[in-house]
Amino acid sequence: MDLNLDIIIVAAIVGVAFGWLVRYWIAKARRRKTHGCAGDCGCSSKLGKK
Amino acid sequence: MTSPAQRVVALVGNPNTGKSTLFNALTGLRQRVGNYPGVTVARKSGVCDLGDGTRVELVDLPGLYSLSAVSPDEQVVTDVLSGQAAGEPRPDVVVVVADATNLLRNLFLASQLAEIGLPLVLVLNQADVAKEQGLKIDTNLISQRLGQIPVVLTSAWKGEGVLEVRRAIAKVLKQPVYLPRVVWPEKIRQGFEAIKHSVEQQTKKVITDAEAQRLLFDNNLVLAERLGWAGPDREALLRRARDQVRQSGYNPHAAEPLVHYDRLKKVLEGVLKEGRGKSGRTALVDQVLLHRIVGPIFFIGIMLGLFASVFWLAKFPMNAIQLGVDWLKLTVAPWFETTPMLQSLVTDGIIGGVGAFLAFLPQILILFLFVSILEDSGYMARAAFIMDRLFSWCGLNGKSFVPMLSGFACAIPGLMSTRTIEDPKARLATAFVVPFMSCSARFPVYALMCAAFIGPLYGPGWESAVMVGMHVVGLLFAVPTAFILTRFVLKIRPQPFVLELPRYQMPKPRDVLWRMWQNAAEFVSKAGTVIFAITIIVWALTYFPRQPEVAQQVRAAYPTLSEEELAPKIQGAYTEQSYMGRFGKTIQPVFNACGFDWKITVGVLASFPAREVIVSTLGVTYSLGEGAKADSEHLRKAMQEAKWTEGPRLGKPIFSLATVLALMVFFALCSQCGPTVVTLAQESGGWKWAAISFTYMTILAWVVATILYQVVSRWT
Repeated sequence: MDLNLDIIIVAAIVGVAFGWLVRYWIAKARRRKTHGCAGDCGCSSKLGKK
Repeated sequence: MTSPAQRVVALVGNPNTGKSTLFNALTGLRQRVGNYPGVTVARKSGVCDLGDGTRVELVDLPGLYSLSAVSPDEQVVTDVLSGQAAGEPRPDVVVVVADATNLLRNLFLASQLAEIGLPLVLVLNQADVAKEQGLKIDTNLISQRLGQIPVVLTSAWKGEGVLEVRRAIAKVLKQPVYLPRVVWPEKIRQGFEAIKHSVEQQTKKVITDAEAQRLLFDNNLVLAERLGWAGPDREALLRRARDQVRQSGYNPHAAEPLVHYDRLKKVLEGVLKEGRGKSGRTALVDQVLLHRIVGPIFFIGIMLGLFASVFWLAKFPMNAIQLGVDWLKLTVAPWFETTPMLQSLVTDGIIGGVGAFLAFLPQILILFLFVSILEDSGYMARAAFIMDRLFSWCGLNGKSFVPMLSGFACAIPGLMSTRTIEDPKARLATAFVVPFMSCSARFPVYALMCAAFIGPLYGPGWESAVMVGMHVVGLLFAVPTAFILTRFVLKIRPQPFVLELPRYQMPKPRDVLWRMWQNAAEFVSKAGTVIFAITIIVWALTYFPRQPEVAQQVRAAYPTLSEEELAPKIQGAYTEQSYMGRFGKTIQPVFNACGFDWKITVGVLASFPAREVIVSTLGVTYSLGEGAKADSEHLRKAMQEAKWTEGPRLGKPIFSLATVLALMVFFALCSQCGPTVVTLAQESGGWKWAAISFTYMTILAWVVATILYQVVSRWT
């Protein structure tokens, strides 16, 4: 497949999506490890908030 | 700050108990009195005259339900009460403000506070509301059972009982009285001692029993980090201590409330006397709604209405979203004509994928609208009570029903609503079976198969029966799965279903809309971002590699066809040689026993991120172009005419009755929804149970589909 603008843009988008997904999951895993929860689960820690 | 001589009194209580109102009455300070939990988030203090010439510093601590210090507000309370808050003296007396109409739940905090070892005064506020409800509270009996601590009935907003509170504080300051600590089972006590010993050895700090309890019972490690208690030994010790809790017959996460509530139930025996009051109306309605026969019938009616509303009301906005997505595709496509690859990514991948996901938003909104109304009106607590009778035999409790019902619309809100289940194991067991419920995304698959094969072969009656049957299949497997999971895997100890039935009230539109907004925002912003990224990656797997020779080969094979006629065939050939297509051909032998050819296999594999994808995938693989709909005559015809081109079934129709039933059952039982797997991972706190669920459902789907195919193909 020839390397052209089309494939460069698509490769960049797919790469960014993949990278973002990996970074997102790592960030959530870290937060879960340090805070006991990823902070977005609405667990009982949020009972006092509204 | 206070002068050294001035004594400090802390005001503690659950949110919504009128604590801030009592604070105002005691100090004379003006302060905003909120109606919502968590309104007292900052430190508030004032001088309180006790009436005998003594003036004390009164500190209004943030409202909280328990001492599990997770949020900053709760952390402030535990820090102040344990004397570890910087610049804050440890209180001399704690005034616990409890809602007189809801004693059991409110006294849980008081019972926990006893562990801290501070003199207590118990104020039962909102006495006027309790009186209206016909409740008579024997304060002397409570005081007697709680170590003679002063117990005062107040109606703070009317100023009633405030003087008695001042006197009680003065009395306890002169002669401290303590609420007796709960008697912990021996094994649990040993756990506290082991933790205290380990912390002391490692950090040279002596911690209290209350702190040891927080380390044992809470998941967050904020306290451990602050104490400097770290290292691999900590985890091993906590694990051992929690095992000891299990040996006492308690779930480590539920042990604390269960032990406290056991004690409080005994304390409250004979304390409350219900007379005739406004609660009589609630009791009268409950006689009907909680009736053994009428209650479940009414409940089924309500739930059917909710289910039908979610399903049917969402249909129109979902169609509107789909039309909007189609319009956007058509509008955007010409912008990328010179870059066909980017055009496919934007239209088929991003707009198609995210649009398909957003189409579920109306269901989410409508579901949470009805759930919020039912919860705020007080009915949901009754529904959970009714369902507890039905679900308890398979290890689930009443609160499992709402998530399972939600799962019929979409598994994601179903999984999200498992958060209402306090016991983590029961929550996990419920979350595990929610994806079995036949969600609306399975509907197009059933519709396609029934319309193409069942209807034409056996008539519309069988078509409807099969449709209904497919919606029940998931439930038939969910119940035994829950039974095995709760009894033999998670070993959930039958938990008392502690539930206080609130008064019936008119839901506040603001609260209902707020909850809808919160859930919608969370759905779109958080899951939506993950879906967005996954969609792009799935698109790439079904698009690449794209060799120009493939198109040339198709053109050479069909020299008489026009470019328009060739387009779907070229698309099908590309899909066949894409990474996903190659994977499908490699995997096909696995699905051979279910009667699936490689094209169905590709459809099945492409449907793992989202099951409804099979409709357009079959359309592509049968060379009819993407975007084929369930009612597409062309797709149905192509499928009806499709025949095996190789192997022992050469020349026979691919879509026999056995294959169609096997495919539908496979879709009914298989975990084919990326967002569901991600949400299950989020809700269960890790990927372990999401992976187990995915593997179990997929294997189960394959086994049942294979058995069905093998049996039916021998009969037909």
